[in-house]
Amino acid sequence: MLNPLQRRMLRRRLVQTIPVLVLATFSVFMLLKLLPGDVAITIAGENATVERIEEIRESRGLNDPLLVQYGNWVWRALHGDLSQSFLSGEEVGTTLLRVFPNTLFIVCYAILISVLIGVPLGMLAAARSGGLIDRLVMMLSSAGVALPNFWIAMIFVMIFALNRAWFPATGFVAPSENLAGAIWHATLPAVALAASGIAEVARQLRSSLVEILHSQHFRTLHAKGLPFGTILWKHGLRNVSVNLLTVISLLVNRTLAATVVVEVVFAIPGMGNTIVNATLQRDFPVVQGAVLAMVLTVVTVNLVTDMLYSVLDPRISQR
Amino acid sequence: MTWKLGELPKALPPLRRRQVLTGMAGGAALAILPRSALSQGGKVLKIRGNANPSSLDPATGGAGSDHVYLYNFYDTLVDWEAGTLTPKPGLATAWKFEDPTTLVLTLQEGVSFHDGTPFNAAAVKFNLDRNRMAGISNIKQDVASISEVEATDDLTVTIRLAAPDTALPLILSDRAGMMVSPEALGNDPEANMDRGPVGTGPWQFGTWTDGEKITGTRFADHWRNGIPGVDGIEILVIPETATGLRAVQSGQVNIAYQLSENQQPLIDRMPNLELVSGPTLYIYQLYVNSSRGPLQDPRVRKALSMAIDREAYVNATQAGIGEPAYMNLPKAHWAWSEEVAKLTVYDPEQARSLLEEAGFADGLDLDLRGYPDQASVQRQEVILAQWAKIGVTGRFQNAPIAEASGRFFGEEKLGDLLLSAWTGRPDPSLTYALMYSEDSYYNPGRVAPPEGYMEALQASRETDDQAERVAALATAQKLAMEAQLCIPLSVRYEVDAIDSSVRNFNANLLGKPKFRDVTLG
Repeated sequence: MLNPLQRRMLRRRLVQTIPVLVLATFSVFMLLKLLPGDVAITIAGENATVERIEEIRESRGLNDPLLVQYGNWVWRALHGDLSQSFLSGEEVGTTLLRVFPNTLFIVCYAILISVLIGVPLGMLAAARSGGLIDRLVMMLSSAGVALPNFWIAMIFVMIFALNRAWFPATGFVAPSENLAGAIWHATLPAVALAASGIAEVARQLRSSLVEILHSQHFRTLHAKGLPFGTILWKHGLRNVSVNLLTVISLLVNRTLAATVVVEVVFAIPGMGNTIVNATLQRDFPVVQGAVLAMVLTVVTVNLVTDMLYSVLDPRISQR
Repeated sequence: MTWKLGELPKALPPLRRRQVLTGMAGGAALAILPRSALSQGGKVLKIRGNANPSSLDPATGGAGSDHVYLYNFYDTLVDWEAGTLTPKPGLATAWKFEDPTTLVLTLQEGVSFHDGTPFNAAAVKFNLDRNRMAGISNIKQDVASISEVEATDDLTVTIRLAAPDTALPLILSDRAGMMVSPEALGNDPEANMDRGPVGTGPWQFGTWTDGEKITGTRFADHWRNGIPGVDGIEILVIPETATGLRAVQSGQVNIAYQLSENQQPLIDRMPNLELVSGPTLYIYQLYVNSSRGPLQDPRVRKALSMAIDREAYVNATQAGIGEPAYMNLPKAHWAWSEEVAKLTVYDPEQARSLLEEAGFADGLDLDLRGYPDQASVQRQEVILAQWAKIGVTGRFQNAPIAEASGRFFGEEKLGDLLLSAWTGRPDPSLTYALMYSEDSYYNPGRVAPPEGYMEALQASRETDDQAERVAALATAQKLAMEAQLCIPLSVRYEVDAIDSSVRNFNANLLGKPKFRDVTLG
């Protein structure tokens, strides 16, 4: 399926992933440890004695040297054990399997909306470069980039959940339980997340297309008598596909990060909410596990993007 | 190269009739989605919970926010009146101090645990012994006064105490009095039911999805008639208060408790919501390290307290919802004392003279500690503005609760004052012991309380006559306030939003709502 050049690139990328994972998890671990505060006090509760707090520190290995604590975590992670949450006692792997699909669902939904709306808008603007529609689309996309996701989310909640009651204001249903319910619950958060995505896709696509549409190659296509729709959708889109892919892959990573705030606004049990709560409580096994999962996702997205580049433009894998 | 507007339709990709129809069908399906997804059967009470519980085992958990979950699955030996926290019968129908160190409990007949095993004196002995001795117990301190528990007969328990402790009945209305099924733990006190509670409470545990929701279904054999009022309960974990209010406003939940005081005007404006409010034991206060620099002088501590206009403080920081705190209890509490409350007055002139007397006529600069959230910062600004009038300045160094408290109360002992709160304890003698005893964690300077304080506290624990207890506790509180070992600011009021279908829901003084009486109309 993959040619030898692509296979070599894949191997090289996979090897490069290892230091990225170590660096990311180690820096997050050290940052958590640098933060003052003591998870043992949180676990022990309000009336705890000093002895009880010390007992908890000892039993959770919190008195070990930092490198030993990190080493233990890596060793267990290599054996597929992401350990347990300090506070709830739940296996971190179980937590991640429960919350990550929710976040991924919203991110994918948001990306889908960004592409489905952003691409036609960008093409419209490019087709009417300099015209009224172009200016309108560019103005709207500037607003989309400038307005914060959480503000858009709250406005949407006010209009579509509280006033019109078309969508729920909070909560989430796992796609595995009820797909229709999941789509219904995820629509407002996904649209709020997609606002900047639509803008980004439309702007980037427009500028790439305008450049291409003014090239001699396209003038020739037009002179050959090809209909404008065919020129735009078949030849135009194919020529800007690499740029579009770059925008989308960057968007996936950015949307993944943006879920942190949007998940809080909509009370969605996803990765963002999990990371925020675990960090506030210094529940480091959960934070480490979540960071590992996020880094792996970003690395995978980048890897898939690189592989797709060579599919869309075979010249790339020749370089 | 440019194109005309009229060419735009041609710029779009060609669509076939089937694609158009498919699109329309998709749109129609989306439009009917909400209706189907909205449907819910049975009477299920949905509540917005403000934190994921630390554990559902009363002996192993540590967070004050856990109680709202625990009350649904466990009954307590002793109950309390919602408005005053006066003790009343729970799983124990009566209790009596045969002598100052012997407490005899008579148990309710015909009670069973969710697993079908009977609730009896042996189960109480197992629970109390587990709470005071098991390695996993986080509440040993609460029941430290118990030296022996004896199951005298099937429905009688005799508790022997190392020292007189009449606070014990109310302590048994808290975690220590929540009875778990010994059978469910395999009769092993070191086992836990962190994630699978089995008690005698109104609902049987259903599921717990971390950070998401906890559910329960009606316990058909519950011993109280007509309890619970609804078949099912679901508590959705939504820490953010604005999101919590939106959840009740949009009908996703029926009740949102412990909202922010500033949200009250919003609740009042929402036609489908009703406000439930009332005082709680939660008191915003300044903890004082009386062993540091100028704060060693009681006149300085007194001046800091006298310079605060508590009425203005409540209006500015709690949107007027609440009451000024003149001692460590709210006015509605059974042990509140008018005589003690009168000791705390607002008098900036007098405060300035006290500072002059103490040698700080030119003012005073303090090392202040607090929390970084918006509401805390607002409270800090009000305090600083009021102190500025008597020449006291300072800067708040803010950190998350665990960190700021740890550094202030713990070994480092950083900062002169900490602007925080006291969440309250079921019996006031616990509050006074924890806040002012020389060796207590919450006394950051480990300063000895005034002469007679510990004696008054002990006296409050030696009698079970309510009037005598009130008098002894008032003496202890008076001594603490005269020495100004801490500076109470205001009482937080419960701010709950309920929808129009909710009946029989009341706020309680503990600030931790119980839902067993609630019905849905």
